[in-house]
Amino acid sequence: MRYVKWTLIAAVSLIVFGFFHYNLPQTDVVRISDTYEKRVDPGDNSWFWAAPDAGNANITNRDVFFIQTIQQNGRPMVYRNEDTGWGWPPYFKFDTSNLQTEAADLKSTSEAPKWVVVKHYGWRNEFFSIYPNAVSVRRVDSPDVTIIPWLNIVILILFALVLLRIYRMVQRFRARRIDPLLEDVGDALERVGDTAETAQERASGLFGRIRGWLGTWRAKS
Amino acid sequence: MIGAIRLFAIALAILTLVYFWLSIRQRWRARNRLEEEFDRGDGDGDRDTYIRDGMREYEGSLRRRLILAVYIVPLLIVTTLIYVTNFM
Repeated sequence: MRYVKWTLIAAVSLIVFGFFHYNLPQTDVVRISDTYEKRVDPGDNSWFWAAPDAGNANITNRDVFFIQTIQQNGRPMVYRNEDTGWGWPPYFKFDTSNLQTEAADLKSTSEAPKWVVVKHYGWRNEFFSIYPNAVSVRRVDSPDVTIIPWLNIVILILFALVLLRIYRMVQRFRARRIDPLLEDVGDALERVGDTAETAQERASGLFGRIRGWLGTWRAKS
Repeated sequence: MIGAIRLFAIALAILTLVYFWLSIRQRWRARNRLEEEFDRGDGDGDRDTYIRDGMREYEGSLRRRLILAVYIVPLLIVTTLIYVTNFM
C-alpha cells in the first residue's frame, strides 16, 4: 500500500512539474543563424503545435515559421514561431510575423556573433519533431547576462499558496469528519474483539486507515 | 475571432460562478459578524432590526463592491499580457 501511495504521488508530481516546465516561459542566450518556414502537418505530435495565425482559417496543416539558432555551447536549437492567439498556453501572442522579422534582422555568423535572448516555452524533441515556441527575441551585448524569471517566481509562489490552502482544508475536514467516525468504528470493534487494537495501531494516515480497515475483514486465526 | 469569443465565453461562465460563490459567502459572513456583535451586547434595540439595518449597510459597502474584482483583475492581466507580448 505504501508503494501504491508513493507511486501515485510521484506520478502526479511529475505531471505537475511537466505542465509547468512546458508552459512557463524560459530564456536562452543564443545566436541566430537563419530563419525558415516549412509546411507542417501535425499528426501524433499535434498537442505540441499551437494555432494558425489569429484570424486565419482553422485548418491543421499550414506553413510555420522557424528560427534556427546556435547555443553558447555550440549546439543547435530550433524554435518554431507560432501564434498562440486566444488559446492555450495563455501568452496571447499575435505578432508571429513581426517576431520573425526581428529574428531575421538579428542573424549573425560564428565569426561575429550577435547574442540574443530568446524567450520561449515548450520542449525540443527530435523523436516527435516538436519545437519550443519563441515568444520574444532581444539583443544583448554579452552572452553572460543574468535574467531573473520574475513571472515564474510569482506564478509558482501563487501555486504553492493554493496547494497549502487545499492541504489545510483537507486536514481540517479530516479532523472534523473522518477521525470521529473512525473512533466510533474503533469503539464498536473493541467490543467485538482485540483485532481493532492492532488495526488502529497500523492506521496512520489515510492509506494506513484503509489498510487497517481491510485488515479487520481478515479471518481471525 | 472564434477563439476570442470562445475564451471570453468560458472565462465569463467560470468567473460568474466564482462571483456568485464569493458574494453568497461574503453576505453570510457579514450576517454572522452582525449576529455575533449583537449577541456580545454591542448592538441595541431589536435583534432582527439591528441585523436588517446592518445588512442594508453591507449592500452598499466597498467590501461588497470589491467582489467585482473577480472580473476586473483577470481582464487587466489579459490586457497586460497582450501588450507585453505583442507591443513591447
